[in-house]
Parts: sequence; structure tokens; C-alpha cells
Amino acid sequence: MGMANKGLRLAAVGAVTALALAACGGGSSSSSDSSASGGAGSGEPTKGGTIYYLTNAEQFDQIDPQRIYTGEDLAFFNGTIYRTLTAYKFSADAAEGTSLVPDLATDTGTVADGGKTWSFTLVDGATFQDGAPITCADVAYGVSRTFATDVITGGPTYAISMLDIPTAEDGSSAYKGPYTGEGQELFDKAVTCSADGKTVTFHLNKPVPDFNYTTTLLSFSPVPKAADTGEKYGDAPVASGPYLIESNKNGKGGKMVLARNPKWDPASDTYRGAFPDNWEVDYGIDPKVIDQRTMTSSGNDSFAINNGIEPEQLAVVFKSPTEANPEYNGRAISTLDPYVRYFAINTQKVPNLKIRQAIAVALDREALRKNAGGDFSGDYADGVIKPNMGQDFAPTGMWDTLLGQKIPDTGDPEYAKKLIAESGEAAPTITFDYPQSPTADKAAAIVVDSLGKAGITAKPNPIEPGQYYGVVFDPEKAHELINAGWGPDWPNASTIIPELFTPTGGFNLSQYDNPEYNKAVDAAKVELDRAKQAKMWQDLNTQAMADVVVVPTRFGREQRMAGKQVGPIYLWPAYGSWPYGQMYAGQ
Amino acid sequence: MSAYVVRRVISMILLLLLLTFVVFILFSLLPTDPARLTCGKSCTPEIIEANRHRLGLDLPVLQQYWEYLKGIFVGRVYAQDSPDPVVCSAPCLGYSFKRGEEVFILIKEGFPATFWLALGAFVMWLAAGISVGVYAALHRGKWQDKTVMGISLAGYSLPSFFLGLMAIFFIVIRLQLLPYPSYISPFENPTQFLQTMILPWIVLAILYAAFYMRLTRNQMLEVLGEDYIRTARAKGLPERIVIRKHALRAGLTPIVTAAGLDLAGLLGGAIITESIFSLPGIGSLAVNSVNDADLPLIVGITLVTATFIIVANLIVDLLYAVIDPRVRLA
Amino acid sequence: MSTSVAPSALPVVPDEDEEITGRSLRQIVWSRLRRDKTAMVCLVILILLYLIAIFAPFITSMLGVDPYSFDGESISDSGGGPIGAWGGISSEHPLGVEWGTGRDILAQLLYGLRISLLIATTATILTTFLGTTLGIISGYAGGKTDAIIGRTMDLILAFPFLLIILALSGVLTQRLTQLGVPDGNPSRILYLIIVLSIFGWPYLARIVRGQVLSVREREFVEAAVAMGAGRPRILFKEILPNLWAPILVYATLTLPTYIGTEAALSFLGIGVLPPDTSFGGMLGNSVSYFSVVPSYLFIPGTVLVILVVTFNLVGDAVRDALDPRAGRV
Repeated sequence: MGMANKGLRLAAVGAVTALALAACGGGSSSSSDSSASGGAGSGEPTKGGTIYYLTNAEQFDQIDPQRIYTGEDLAFFNGTIYRTLTAYKFSADAAEGTSLVPDLATDTGTVADGGKTWSFTLVDGATFQDGAPITCADVAYGVSRTFATDVITGGPTYAISMLDIPTAEDGSSAYKGPYTGEGQELFDKAVTCSADGKTVTFHLNKPVPDFNYTTTLLSFSPVPKAADTGEKYGDAPVASGPYLIESNKNGKGGKMVLARNPKWDPASDTYRGAFPDNWEVDYGIDPKVIDQRTMTSSGNDSFAINNGIEPEQLAVVFKSPTEANPEYNGRAISTLDPYVRYFAINTQKVPNLKIRQAIAVALDREALRKNAGGDFSGDYADGVIKPNMGQDFAPTGMWDTLLGQKIPDTGDPEYAKKLIAESGEAAPTITFDYPQSPTADKAAAIVVDSLGKAGITAKPNPIEPGQYYGVVFDPEKAHELINAGWGPDWPNASTIIPELFTPTGGFNLSQYDNPEYNKAVDAAKVELDRAKQAKMWQDLNTQAMADVVVVPTRFGREQRMAGKQVGPIYLWPAYGSWPYGQMYAGQ
Repeated sequence: MSAYVVRRVISMILLLLLLTFVVFILFSLLPTDPARLTCGKSCTPEIIEANRHRLGLDLPVLQQYWEYLKGIFVGRVYAQDSPDPVVCSAPCLGYSFKRGEEVFILIKEGFPATFWLALGAFVMWLAAGISVGVYAALHRGKWQDKTVMGISLAGYSLPSFFLGLMAIFFIVIRLQLLPYPSYISPFENPTQFLQTMILPWIVLAILYAAFYMRLTRNQMLEVLGEDYIRTARAKGLPERIVIRKHALRAGLTPIVTAAGLDLAGLLGGAIITESIFSLPGIGSLAVNSVNDADLPLIVGITLVTATFIIVANLIVDLLYAVIDPRVRLA
Repeated sequence: MSTSVAPSALPVVPDEDEEITGRSLRQIVWSRLRRDKTAMVCLVILILLYLIAIFAPFITSMLGVDPYSFDGESISDSGGGPIGAWGGISSEHPLGVEWGTGRDILAQLLYGLRISLLIATTATILTTFLGTTLGIISGYAGGKTDAIIGRTMDLILAFPFLLIILALSGVLTQRLTQLGVPDGNPSRILYLIIVLSIFGWPYLARIVRGQVLSVREREFVEAAVAMGAGRPRILFKEILPNLWAPILVYATLTLPTYIGTEAALSFLGIGVLPPDTSFGGMLGNSVSYFSVVPSYLFIPGTVLVILVVTFNLVGDAVRDALDPRAGRV
């Protein structure tokens, strides 16, 4: 765990697979199960009360809507203070939980011009916390902030790559954001408002059949221009949802308190339940303490939620990776998360395919998985598209056929040696980059040991977690083998394959640049027939595995828990998070 | 005397300047590019360059140092030429772009926890250290003395993190005498404050008291052998008065020196104790700043901590004159 | 635990008289040490520990354990915890196995001892060398040299050294690699040795400087100067031999401090690289698991404490033997 959750800045979407559905059936995730836990009844959710979100983090990475990019945070803020044009349905079900519903818009968008023009009409009665009605201009202004890349850092940049705005000579957008105003007329042409200010239209530079998924991101949420304080907007953002930030103090012992937004009109928002009166995020709590408090669930802790369970407690809380122990039944979840864990192989530094194959073959994936928590940490992966991605997933056969013969989970050092002999090169010396933690140190020891058995010398290179992606994204500093994890931004592999395996992707740690592959990716991106597109992603996933661009290790599984009075208890497939917008404190 | 004070203060200021300079140079050599770290996954060289300019990192190192020094006194504005400048008011110890906050404010927020930790432990270890030390000295060579010395040896042989973890294991996990430590201001919830602080106080106090027991004992033994003590006794003064008025006072000088410096060191954050007991003090802040490569914060904490020590040194020197009648300055 | 049995029984004999009877200081000290039973026991333990550290690979292979090999059989596939009580203690793994990997704890301890002793011992030697040299120079030369060294010491002593060591570990380890030190553990261990010494020497230098100031006024030094002896000769032949008592005491008491500091640094995560481990690293790992497997905390912790206590006892005894009047009487 650790790295993927901590370091990834992306929204994650997925559908729970048959496997994970079994998990739900096993008693961990449907809300009807909570009656079995004895605490909660099965009546209507109570209005009122406070939900306590206990976290080890000392602050949110970002509170500014245009800069938030971690799945959990997107879900939390979208469910509480920021509204977006479209949103995902609240459901534990694989397909339903990733299907679109309108939020600030009256429907999920109108497409024209073969996918190059998208329009959304805003609902009546939606206002900001000061009572001002939300207009098309506010939506457009919010989107425009993404272009100020020197001020609005860290957020998704889909607006920049998708909107029909010419690029400057250096490849950056000719529009520099609202603060300098350079190229404003270009932006105003790409995002237009109807005369009554009720309809916003996006003009794209190429067809994007799933653009209305993009608009679920908070970077497409409205911001009133008058209240924008640039870099510091996150200190006092303007709420459009049912809650507003009453106070926020970062650090250990600090907390964020959300109170009801008096100007929010329930009639304009059929999406959110807005059950509790308050939300309280308690920062900087030791993970062991979080476990202890949620497990005991006394006093206010019966309204607590957490987002992770320490390894030593897993066997206490769960009977198996799919079933909680009776004491915690109905309030503990163990299910597949949206992430795939893998090791990227730097193809610039390891250009020889046979060597890359040898690395993949030699790795002891079973030991790696045991170290991460055994079957609690996930299932063996065979690619970067996870089964809970629905139609885009197909087994790649990586460990059965792609590498020439069947490879056991424990690795096959003899076969790896043979591959090295065939490569025409000497057995390589490689360095393994990973974000340091005690568990990751042990994983590194496993990498060193298992590659060593095949004659490959591996050196561990622990990097401070906070600096990790800063280092490995730097081609000068990244080494041969790079620990990573990725989850899609919405349920289309268009947010996986191009990001991971093309030079223009944002997460191409392998520095993979294969012209033919790039061409196939471009074709898949604009394919309008979703079934056809799914087949193309499946093939591209398999091709990348055949070329051993990465070594997939696990389809991650995650565990979390809530106090006895909180519901509903399931992992929302849309973001692999709690369904914040629908949660309640007591029934 | 006043000339001595002036001389010491001037040399202290020079030392502080030198220290800021060394810290600044040391950290400007780090390979991690702070500008790179401000920029997410979709990063282009242009963005990095723009951010470098915003952070003032495109200036030559010496000029950066000058800007930094100036900022401490008159405040500083980052990204002056951008439409969205960041104001850091005096005393500006830098601005953490990672946390979006002035370094001075971050340190100020961490200070209470560190202050209470240091103060409580200080009182405990001085009380325990000095009284037990005097007791041992008065029973020198006897079993009491040997026991005290044995305890003291064990005390300073225990690594603080092992002692801290054992305390948590036995007191919190096994016996459940105290809840898990969770810091809260003493003015907000005194009970929870005491429940949280008592273990870290004891852990730190054990470590330091061990040293003070020995120090006090040895000082006392030395002083008790002096002529004026014999004179005092010969005059028929009660032993209590001899010890308190004469022996202890004379023997206090090195104890005060050590105590002042130790307290100053602790006010800069007890890294290990704070991390183990999840105290939101300067020590935890320091560890987090290192983990995040938050350079401005690391530099700021280093400077503040070092300043405490240097100032404490000065105060301790000046206190010599007051406490020990034998020391005459100038 | 008492450490002062022998010295207090000794008659107090001033050094000068001993020299008159023709016994060297070394002989005197040794004879005093030999009468200190606690010290002798500790000394034997220390020698044993060094031997164990040096021959760790041999010992582990005799015991049939090894710190690097993974034993998937000994841990559960649900959660990765050790199978069996007390961290999976069995005849195969006398002190249990590590969570998540099944590596042998005993073997890790023995290899950790090696690294701990290597770093602490080398750093102590380097510190002693730096402190002595700079202290003598500072004390003897006086004037500008003394002032420069003095200010440098003030500067170093004012630094929050734990924070600086943590913050600079990445960059300086890399620098060492660029200077040709082998990548990985050699660089990391060398870094620790160097920084411990850099932050440690001023304490000794202060003591030495003070001693030099008093010694250089003595007749025999003045006599040497009058006889036209060169400066190096005076420094190292005349003055140094009079300093070795405080230096030795300081060194023996510094070593255990360094063992503790090194453990603290590895606890905070800048120790040796995997697959190697050290005491501090093992204790750091134990934090996640000790509520379930307490032996992860107590086994390395106890060994660490034994190590430090033993060194401290020997250090105390050496001090007593060198100067029975100081401290113990």
C-alpha cells in the first residue's frame, strides 16, 4: 500500500468485479448487512448529527477545486461542498456506481458535431454560499483557472488538452489563464455561454466521446470570479454544495469542520443526501489510534469513518479478505480498490526486451504480495487494466503465455537466466526506485533477493515519499525499475493506456515511446464505438505487457471501517472511496 | 560587566549571521529542485521555470541569502511581478509553498506542544535529578549511592525511542491505564492534556534526570570537600542549611549551564519523543519537512532551533555571575 | 548494577608517587581495572560481542539461519503475519521471523550488531582523532587559530544535529558516491560515520584544549621549548602523552552514545539499505506490529540496551581507574 494511495494524484473509477462482488455478498459492503451488526436499524437515514472522518494526513493536499486530484478527496469535496456539472451515481454496484447522473446540469450533457461540442444546461435555483445564483460564467471561470499553470498546480489538466485552443510555439496553451488574461479571447471562443447564462458549451479540439465523464472532475466546478484569490483560494473557497467550510486548522490535533450551507436549496440538488448537520475531519491521528477508536466505536467514535486499516489489525477485523469477523460485520469493508500496483521498467535504460522479460520472470510476486499483506493486499495482476474496469478488461495471459512459458508466482530464476543468455548482453545491474517506508524497504529486499537469484544485481534506492514523484518523473534521476501504482480517472482505459504508455501521457514512468503503439493509442482515443474501443484497449494492454513495459504485481484490495452508527457501508466504485454525499450518522 | 555583555551579544549576533549563512549554503546544495516539487504530474520545463522565478530561486545564491535576511526584518513578497504575489510578513523565515503557509507561522503553531513538553520534562528532571543527586552525595559509597548510580546508568543507557515505545506498549496497550496520546491544548482540555503529556514527560525526564543525578552528586562531593563548608559546619550551622545555602548554591553553576542548554535544545523540538507520542510540535514538523523536502521549512526550523541554543548560551553565561559568588566577570 | 565496588576500596594514591615507584600509568590503570569485577565481566562481554559481530556470517550459518532468505512458509498469506506465538519462534527460527517476509530475526540481530559496532567504533576513532588534534592545536596555538576553531565549535554545537543529519543524508550520500565510494551501504555507512564525528568532536576538543592550556605552562614543556624542540615535537611528544587519560575516558563514553544515535537515526529511516537491517531499523519496523507481536520490540530493544549498558559500565570503570578521586571517591 502506501505509495499508490499517497502519491497518486488522480481520480479513480472502476466497477466492482465478480470477485469483489463476492466480497460484498460475503458480508462487508451492502447496507442491509449493517442490520446484522446490531447497531444500526434498516430504517430511513437520520438527518442531523456529525460524521467524524479520522485521518493520519495532517491536511488535505488541496482544497482548491481546480487543484484537487486524489480520488478520496474528489469524492469527499464533491459530496459536501462543491457541485459539478455531472457526477457518478451513489451505488455499490459495479456498473451503476460508475454511471453518470446530472448534478449542476439538467442532464448528462448534449453532444454535437460528432463529439466535438458538448453543452450543459444549468439547473434552476443553484446558488453559491452567498446566495448568488450559479451561472455559466462561473463554470467557465472555474475551468479557465486550470490554464494558469503557474498558480493552479497539481490539478487535472484535461481542459488544457481537450479544449479547442491553439498551442503556443513551446507546446503550451496560448491561453495563460485568467490572472494574466493572455489569450482570453481564445478561451472565450472555446467555452461559450448562452444569452440567458444558463447553458455552457465546450468546443473541443477533437471528438471526446466521454467528455461528460471529464466534467465530473472538480476542475469543472464553478468558481465566482470576485472571490478568486488565486493560489490562496483554497483557504476560503466558495461552497456550492450543501456544506461550507466553517473552520479549518491543519496539522496534528487540527480539524476541518463543515457546517450546513444555508443558501443551498435541496430542490436544486437531487443528487446529495446531505444527512448529517456537520462533518468533522480530524487530522494527524496515528493510524494505530484510528484503528483502535473505530474498532471500539464508543461515544462519538460510533460516528467515525477511517480510510485504511493497519496490517496487524487485518486478521483481527477480517476472517478472510472477503469477509469480516462477526464483531465487525456490516461496518468493515475489504474490496478491490481502483488501483493497479506495478513496477515500471525504464525502457530507455533497459532497451533490450529479453532483459525486461528476465526481470519480470525473476521477480517473486508471491513474496511481494505476502509482504504487502498477502491476499488482503490484492490479487495477482496481469496488466494495467483491472477486472473492475468492466468491458475494457480482458486477461492478457502475461504469466501464462506472453513471456514464452508459464511463470509461477514465485518467479522462475532459471528461465530468467536463460532469457538473459539469449539477450546477448551481460546480466544487468539495475536500481529500484521506491518511496521509503518500512514495508517498502522489505519489498525492496525481496526485489534484490529474487532478481539476484537470476544473476541480476539490483540496488535499492529509497526516496523520501514526499519527493518521490518529483524524482522519478525526472528522466535524469529515474532509474531502471520504478515502483508505481495507477488508477483510472473514469471508467475508460483512455485514462490508463495513454497516460502510462505514450510520451504525451502524464504518468509514463517507463519512458516508453513506440511510434506504432502511439498511433494505435491515438486511434483508440477517438473511436466512437465504445465496444470497439474496449477491444482496442484490451489489445493495447496485452501489447504493452508483451513488450514488458511494466511488471504488474497486484490488483489492489483495500480495507476500511466505520463506527457502528454510520452508513451506508460500501466502497463507492466511482472513486474507490466512501459514498460521502450519501452518508448518514444513525438511522 | 556591561562591556562584557555588549561583547557577548555582538559575538552572538555574528554567530547567528554565520549560522544562517552556513545553513543557507548547505541546503542550496540539495539536489531536490524545490521548483520541480511545486508542480504536479503534468509538468513542463516552462512551468518549472516560472515557478522557480516565483520562488525567487532564479537569483544567484548570495542574492537569495540577502533576500532571506532582509525578509526576516522587513518581510518579503514572492512573485512580485506576477498578478498573484505571495506576501510573507516580517519576521519572514521563508514561505512553504508545499503547505501554502509562512514558515514562521508553521513554527509558531508547533511551538506550544514543544514548549509544554520541554517545560514539564524540565521541571521533572531537575527536581528528580538534583534531589536524588544530593541524596546520593550525602550517602556516598553506601548502598543508597550505589543504587542511585545504577539507576542513573540504566537511565542514560536506554535509547529514548525504546523507552517511549515500551511506555506505550505497557501503559497504553497492555494495561490501558492511559488513552492513546492525542495532543490538545491545556487550556482546552486539561485532563486530556495531562493524559497525553505524562508519558512523554516521564520518558524525557528519565533520560535527562540520569545525567543530572550524576552531575549533582559529583558537584556536591567536590563542594562538600571545600574549606568553607568545613568552616560552616564548624560554626555549628545545621546540616540542612549547610547543604542548601552553601554547598548547593556553589555547586549549582555547571548544573544551571547544562540545564539551560538542554532546555534550549528541547525547545527546538524533541524529534524522537514527539514522533513517538504524536505530538504536533516543532520536532514532528521537522521530520515532516524532511520527508516532504520542504526546504524553506527545514531551513526555518534549523535557524530557530539554533537561535534558541545560541541565546541560551548567552543567558547561561550571564547567569554565572548571579548564581556563583566566586565568579567575577570583566 | 553497582559499579563502584573496587575503586572505593582502593587507597587513593596520587599519580606522581606511582611514577616514582617506576610503574607506568598504564600499568596502574590496568591493575585497578582488573580489580573491578563488574568492569572485567563487561569487558569480556564486549570482547565477545565484537567477536560475534566479526564472525556473524559464520555463526549464522552454523545455526542454520540467514538474514536475507525469505521464508514464505513461516508467515500467513492473510495479512503476512508470522505463524505461531511470539513472532513465530520455532526451532528453525529461535527468535521468530519478520512480518511479511519470514526473514530470521536472530540472524538479522547478529548482522545488525555488526553494522552498529562498525559505525559506532569507527566514528568514535574518527571523533577522537579530530577532537584531539584540533583541541591540541587550538589550545597550543592560541590567538587567531584558537578563535577560528573556537567559533567553528560554537557553530557546530548550535546546530540541531539530528535534523541536519536527516535533512542532508540524501545529498551527502550521493556526493560520497560521486567521490568514488561504492554506491549503497558503503556510502550510507560512511556518511553516518562522518556526520557523527563532525558533530561529536567539539566536545572532546574543548576538554583537550583546556588540558593543553594547563599542561603547556608546566616546567617540562617550558624546558622542551628552551631546549629548542620543534613545535610538532612539543605538541605530540611532550603534551599529548599527558592528555590520554581524558581522551580515553571520553572515547569509551562516546561509543555507547553513538550506538544509541545510530539506532535513533535508523529508527527515523536513514540507516542501511535493505536487505540489510540494523537495530534501529528493526525497532522502527516493530512500531506497526508490536501491539500484536511484542517480541519485535523487545528482542532488538533488549540487545541494544545490553550493548549500551555494557559499554557505559566499562567507560565508568576506565574513568575510575584513571582518576579515582574524580566522581567516585
